[in-house]
Amino acid sequence: MSVSRRLETFVAFSAEVTAFTPTEVWGTGLTQRYLDTVDGVVGTAMTDALLNAFDRITTQSAGERTAKLRQTVFGCEQLGPVARAVVKLWYIGTWYALPAAWQERFGPAAQDGTFVPTPDAYVEGLLWSAIGAHPPGAKAQGFGSWQFPPGIPKF
Amino acid sequence: MSEPAQYDVVIVGAGIAGALVAKRLTTAGLKVLVLEAGPDTTRSIADYTSHLETFYAASAKGAESPWPPAEAAPQPDGGDLFKDKSLPANSGYFIQNGPHLYGSTYTRTLGGSTLHWLGVSLRMLPEDFEMGSRFGLARDWPIRYDMLSPYYEQAEHEMGVSADVVDQRYLGLRFSESYDYPMHRVPPSYSDRVLGAAVNGMRVMVGEDSVSVQVRSYPAARNSIPRGSYQPVGALDVDADGNARRSFLGERCEGNTACTPICPVQAKYNANKSLAQADRRHLTLRAQAVASDILIDKSGHAVSGIRYKRYDDPGSIQHTEEIATGRIYILAAHAVENARLMLVSGLQSQSKKVGCGLMDHPALYVWGLAPFNVGSFRGPQSSSGIEDFRAGRFRTRHAAFRFDIGNDGWHATTGAPDATVNDAVLKQKLVGQRLRSHLEDQLPRQVRFSLAVEQLPNLKNRVTVDPSNRDKLGNPRPVIDYEIDDYTFKGMIAARKVALAVFRQAGITDCSSNAVELPFPVAEYEGEKFYYHGMGHCAGTHAMGDNAETSVVDEYQRSWEHPNLYLIGSGSFTTMGTSNPTLTLAALALRTADHIIARMRKHNPGIEPGPRRRKETQRVNPG
Repeated sequence: MSVSRRLETFVAFSAEVTAFTPTEVWGTGLTQRYLDTVDGVVGTAMTDALLNAFDRITTQSAGERTAKLRQTVFGCEQLGPVARAVVKLWYIGTWYALPAAWQERFGPAAQDGTFVPTPDAYVEGLLWSAIGAHPPGAKAQGFGSWQFPPGIPKF
Repeated sequence: MSEPAQYDVVIVGAGIAGALVAKRLTTAGLKVLVLEAGPDTTRSIADYTSHLETFYAASAKGAESPWPPAEAAPQPDGGDLFKDKSLPANSGYFIQNGPHLYGSTYTRTLGGSTLHWLGVSLRMLPEDFEMGSRFGLARDWPIRYDMLSPYYEQAEHEMGVSADVVDQRYLGLRFSESYDYPMHRVPPSYSDRVLGAAVNGMRVMVGEDSVSVQVRSYPAARNSIPRGSYQPVGALDVDADGNARRSFLGERCEGNTACTPICPVQAKYNANKSLAQADRRHLTLRAQAVASDILIDKSGHAVSGIRYKRYDDPGSIQHTEEIATGRIYILAAHAVENARLMLVSGLQSQSKKVGCGLMDHPALYVWGLAPFNVGSFRGPQSSSGIEDFRAGRFRTRHAAFRFDIGNDGWHATTGAPDATVNDAVLKQKLVGQRLRSHLEDQLPRQVRFSLAVEQLPNLKNRVTVDPSNRDKLGNPRPVIDYEIDDYTFKGMIAARKVALAVFRQAGITDCSSNAVELPFPVAEYEGEKFYYHGMGHCAGTHAMGDNAETSVVDEYQRSWEHPNLYLIGSGSFTTMGTSNPTLTLAALALRTADHIIARMRKHNPGIEPGPRRRKETQRVNPG
């Protein structure tokens, strides 16, 4: 997979598993950074395995993709925990250390641990717009906005 | 004779107490030195932003996360509480003897703990000053509410407190005629309004009293819409030469939901704002200067100097030792640090009460799910409380309490939203649209009350020092003995009962009662476990009183034994009440400043009188 194709696949995979659009994923400005993070923790070979698994099902229907993802990625003892860590990374900007059982079987992942890859990661967490809020300490909604009924934007 | 003093007044500590006194004394023309143990990295936008980035990048976002301490000036951290499972706990800055863990922390950086305080600026109730005569508990303060009331008004203007007096007249709180706060109240959140609509006027029995509940906006030191010509003070931007640049940032609260640990725009008051308003011609500020010893002259009474260790690099303990001299000395280093410094210097006071009577508001969380989206995780961290249980006849039997109503979901209790996401992804195995829908449904319904419970001064709860346990700079670390007593436990039980009744009335599903293994200190009382947390309301370690036998300082926070020494801050509190201590300690500090100015004028008529109450606080002088 070429470098650019690899990144595009990572974005498509990320959009699929977070239920955000590829545009929103690109819009964080963190796509390359996160791909580097995953590479750094589990190595490029395992990242490639994850991306290839997704790449094989991209042309299928949404329903088929979900089922296939469950079987080949989230149901996989090796790739599942990595994919779940990627979901959490996008939602809240923190890479959460892989489970001890995964480490024993497939580790050691040298750069594993719980960490925020860059200060922007926290600020760009996708979760916040999903719940009509903002990351505490950033992207405030403005004086008095909180007195009004909440609104979760629908796309 | 010794050499003439270098300064009129030497102040140890650039937190709110020290900053307010420094501003007032320099404005009167007194020459003031302020020694600050921590680094001076909070007064320019660039420096402040680097603290914000530190917070963004921290994987554990506790109260201290944006404010890591210098090697030479360590500080307690919430994370310390769980490193040692057994007592004495000795893994952080505090050495904790127990039997209960003291859960509160503070910050040793220029600006002190106001850098990460919530901003709640409640006055104490009149009856809080009279616990002895009214309830036969502890002692009365040597001052009364009405004596402090003018200084409450001044403090509210110095700090920029937003509230409407019309909301704040309850349980005996009275205000002078025509007085109102400098800014209109911070708008209550949508969830406050929804909750109020559901529960206002409901009655709850506490002891023999039937109490009516009201969700009430509390006074907050956060910028809102000004009254009259009051000018809100926003973010500081002081350059390397000490000149303040004009900044429009932070003149209104933007709803960053991060009062604790860091208001990114400084719409919330911090002590550096007051320090920047001091008269620079008369102020010397020396940061990275850790006071280590109070020197006493040959008479054995008067203070003759403060020895301090000055370091150049916050990452190193390389330092030089110096002595600062003044005519008057003020310890404004925090309740725990003031006591520590006295004890290290062998100054126990005639009453032997230095360090004794340490208090806090040990607090419980109660949390649940609202029946519909109430818009959690928006607005200031909280904007309203329930204050109706701060007073009552029940105080003869158990502690009073107040509720803070969060706008930040279960952030403080379970670690939401991160914990909610983790739980959904790992335990419930949700991803994609199902994950997103689940979070959309759950998170905006999360409701949290913080139940802050009064604590009485118990002399066994105390700060001591142990010369064999020192920090890296060689200063003995604080040793804490702390126990929550029956009076407070019974208050916790009553508080929890009221909170759950409010939840039921509002249709909020309680999710807290069966929670176990929470990341908080735990105490057992009558077979029940209480997970409690510190509120950062450290107090009582050099309590004021009306004689030298029973107290450490007089009503002006002046040491009974050392006529030129003052110990200021919440350490001077005789009792705690239920209000967050900052506003009261600010009012006390201003009263002390006026007292010192009057005292110095007697000897030197050239000193200008203390400023009269000013309704308009000056904008930070743009140099």
